[in-house]
Amino acid sequence: MNKLLQILLSLIIISLSPNLLASAADEVKTNSDDFETTIFEDEIYDPLEGINRAIFGFNNVADRVILEPAAKGYKKLPTPIQSGIGNFIKNLKLPLVAVNQLLQGQGKNAVESTGRFVINSTIGIFGLIDVADNVGLEQKEEDFGQTLATWGVGDGFYVVLPLFGPSNLRDTTGMLITMMTDPVNAYATSQGEAWAIPVRTAANAVDQRSKIIDEVNALRNNSVDYYAAVRSSYYQNRKAAIMNTDDDILTPLPLISIEFE
Amino acid sequence: MKFCKIFFIYILLTYPNTVKASEASTWLKKEIDKIIIAYQSENLPNENRFLMIEQTINNNFAGTGIAKFVAGKSWNSASTETKTEYIKLFKRHLALNIASMMQGYSNQNYNLVNSRFDEKNKVTLIDMIIFSETGEIQVTWRVKKSKERFFVIDLLVADISLVVTKRSEFNSMLKIVDYDLAALNAKLSKQNQSSYQIIIN
Repeated sequence: MNKLLQILLSLIIISLSPNLLASAADEVKTNSDDFETTIFEDEIYDPLEGINRAIFGFNNVADRVILEPAAKGYKKLPTPIQSGIGNFIKNLKLPLVAVNQLLQGQGKNAVESTGRFVINSTIGIFGLIDVADNVGLEQKEEDFGQTLATWGVGDGFYVVLPLFGPSNLRDTTGMLITMMTDPVNAYATSQGEAWAIPVRTAANAVDQRSKIIDEVNALRNNSVDYYAAVRSSYYQNRKAAIMNTDDDILTPLPLISIEFE
Repeated sequence: MKFCKIFFIYILLTYPNTVKASEASTWLKKEIDKIIIAYQSENLPNENRFLMIEQTINNNFAGTGIAKFVAGKSWNSASTETKTEYIKLFKRHLALNIASMMQGYSNQNYNLVNSRFDEKNKVTLIDMIIFSETGEIQVTWRVKKSKERFFVIDLLVADISLVVTKRSEFNSMLKIVDYDLAALNAKLSKQNQSSYQIIIN
């Protein structure tokens, strides 16, 4: 009797499971909300749009004239050299990444980042070779902007910084804190080698830009409003970074109807 | 024994989702390979290559649904002719965007690494990793099934949704023209012509 009840219960659970109601899943209907302005837009607070667009225009020219050609030239370097430079720059960021992970309560990640820094700075020859990745210590990015967001600080308004590009009030504050607290920069300054700071910033910009040449060109060449496309991309990317997730289920899902396809 | 029963019930509950996700992955791989073949055929003129891509995208993307979503609140007030023209222009715009992203393709390998069915939204999410010499990029495909056919409803590159970006971009444009879809059509048509010239040259 007990066994019968168990089987019956199992059957009821299975029959009620939404997974098995596959046909219902295929009936995609138009939702009136599809055509309403939703949180996907207008949530970007951009009161300085006029000024931002002007700075964006300047940055765009600087990108076309200086950064993009430099990034294309960099891409022509042998792969091991590109990887070496990229690894070296990433390694220099690790002390502050670990600090931010600690400030966000990510103790395990902070230990891993410290481990990465120690391994790559020694066995990896000053960070040129990413040895730590091969032993399972993955690179994770955290900055002061993300830390402030974790502490509940809101975005503030959107701002385009000359040469540095899209940001917002919170992330700009985070960037200033990074500049003031970076131990590598502080060391360079104390040794009378402050010239290394802009060189490091420029090298980082070229390295990063070289990785997204096609994506940026696709966006620039195909946007009816390139400024708005970059603004939206920036916010989506930051949101994902703050949430520390690769789980795209959490990324806003557009309501798309497919009944007329 | 109790563990076995729980395990059995769990498998029964989750199996249909696994099957759905796997079916969608197989379908997607086939369609991506069609696009890649277009890029691997070096002797193919650029115009023909783009036509092949456009056809594949038109067949497999929920172009009309995405177009309506992207149009936002301007959709309801537009006339039928304007809507029809807009959908036609938008589908080409979508194809041009994807073809443009593929411009730098140089025989990189890719892997569909993970697929899962999002029960809440009835959407399959498929992660693809594109490998290059200096790193890798993650692309996530959002796929929905309707009448025994799969459709791509969104594409996320490095956490940035193509559809959400397009909606934000179009909304910014529409605000200037007081949400007049016909005015957007004129702008979109011009943009498509310019993008097409870049693609074929």
